[in-house]
Amino acid sequence: MKILVTGATGFIGRSLSLSLAQSGLKVVALCRNTDHPYLIDHPNITPIKGDILDVPGLKNAVIGIDQVYHTAALAKMWCRNKDDYYNINVIGTRNLLNAAGEAGVKRIVYTSTCGVWGPTIKHPMHEDDPRIDGFAIDYERTKYLAEIEARKFAEQGLDVVTVNPSRVYGEGPVTDSNTVGKMVSGYLKGRWRIIPGKGEQVANYAYLDDVVKGHIAAMELGVSGQRYILGGEDVSFNTFFNTLQYVSGMEYGMVKIPQKLIEAYSRAEWLKATITGIPPVFLPEFAERLKRDQKYSSQKAISQLNYHITPFEEGLARTINYIKKTCN
Amino acid sequence: MQLTAIVTGASEGLGKSFALELASRNIDLILVSLPLSGLPQLANYIRQNYQVRVMEFELDLTDASSYTLLFDQLNEKKVVAHILINNAGLGNWDWFEDRSIGFYKKQIELNVITPVLLTRLFLAQLDSSKTAYLLNVGSLGGRFLVPRKQVYGATKSFISYFTRCLQLELGSANIRISLLSPGGINTKPELLVLNHSLKGVARATITEPHRVAQEAITGLLAGKREIIPGRINRLLVVLNGLLPGFVKDMIIKNRLKPMLKV
Repeated sequence: MKILVTGATGFIGRSLSLSLAQSGLKVVALCRNTDHPYLIDHPNITPIKGDILDVPGLKNAVIGIDQVYHTAALAKMWCRNKDDYYNINVIGTRNLLNAAGEAGVKRIVYTSTCGVWGPTIKHPMHEDDPRIDGFAIDYERTKYLAEIEARKFAEQGLDVVTVNPSRVYGEGPVTDSNTVGKMVSGYLKGRWRIIPGKGEQVANYAYLDDVVKGHIAAMELGVSGQRYILGGEDVSFNTFFNTLQYVSGMEYGMVKIPQKLIEAYSRAEWLKATITGIPPVFLPEFAERLKRDQKYSSQKAISQLNYHITPFEEGLARTINYIKKTCN
Repeated sequence: MQLTAIVTGASEGLGKSFALELASRNIDLILVSLPLSGLPQLANYIRQNYQVRVMEFELDLTDASSYTLLFDQLNEKKVVAHILINNAGLGNWDWFEDRSIGFYKKQIELNVITPVLLTRLFLAQLDSSKTAYLLNVGSLGGRFLVPRKQVYGATKSFISYFTRCLQLELGSANIRISLLSPGGINTKPELLVLNHSLKGVARATITEPHRVAQEAITGLLAGKREIIPGRINRLLVVLNGLLPGFVKDMIIKNRLKPMLKV
């Protein structure tokens, strides 16, 4: 059994590769840079240089592969060239599914996101619920389009299962797309001292280990053409920082920043980024999102994939330990 | 008084935003959309998340029997609609020769015949003692000449004329009639390949559907005759009135240079 993982240096892909390797499976890790610092060194993990935008390279990478986990994506808030989102997330996914189909791969698990639903109103979103918002956020729009690609391939007979993690946190490198890691490490250093708005906005936080197990369960038990939300607990910003304070034992006075101020600041940042090309700290489309809840139900994965949710407090405690150990 | 609104083309894009906006204002809904477009899921979602009644009709509005069928069924259930939002429409962005006659026939039916006939039947069922509201979705494209929008733009010009004329005719009736003239809206992304590549001013004319729906319903309830969502779009309309024709031609040709045939 040979398994290909794309995005093997990413937050989910990295942890997933390690978990598969530790269970004795042979993992081929597709990376643009095989010397990447986040690539895990393990006898069962073989790095292979490649890029989901390089079709001949991909065709080569999938030869003799039985299963593919496609976790590679552009998940950053902003990038200089807007087309990158479409190219990497939509065309990259299409390239990979094409190559996998031609090579006779038995099953592909595609990592989407709860961002394809986005904001919620009262109840947590389920897999069949409609998206209620527009598509101002590039990442969400292109991941939505990529899911349509995956669905088309599934309709044509390719075995593709989609998983939709929510906001993932856990033991892994603190990078640009690891927003929870950034908040936690900032807090531990005494640098993150703000709570947006009244702190009542709720989001869903999925623990990395749960999400990794959910991916593996989707490979084993998922139904082709179906999608599964892999989430965690719905937690407000207030609860988030209260838990962080309580679990870390570090108490900082937090400042609540009014929504209007965040919006004004995000517009200034957008202008700065548009004129100078310097990456923005925050953008208007994300400020807008701070007004809305993002609650998701993992019920389908729990009943069909035996998905398990680690309590937020427990997951956060492990995350804090990890960040304390690695970031000092 | 509890209001009830008909929204056509409700399952996707701007129609979905209208449904959610009306529900958030506690207005009961009659949603009309094509079969297999996700309408039952949307209707269920709204029932669960808002305290409003939702009726759903999966109908092909290019089918001539669908108009009477809709109002007959409402009549049978003793439901009177107080608001009609003529939102369903078929857009495209192609050179004229690149589409079939079947496509244009369907586009004209859905964008022109459907709103006219639905309006006619809507007016007939009204109770004149209660204020009624009619919102017709036109387009900023109805004001500017846009290549590759030849038939679509013409249908929206029709809607503009039709709506403004009804405003005159029904000036003393107990009904408020608004024309919505949006620019590009960031709705169903699979239809919006063009929006990915827009830059600068063109990008800024694109508005978010929930914003458009919010401005439109506020304007409709307030009796505004024409609603142009988005500050930049309003500015463009003002400029359009001030600039001489040849300057506008130059700007349009310049902006569209990459897409115009040589």
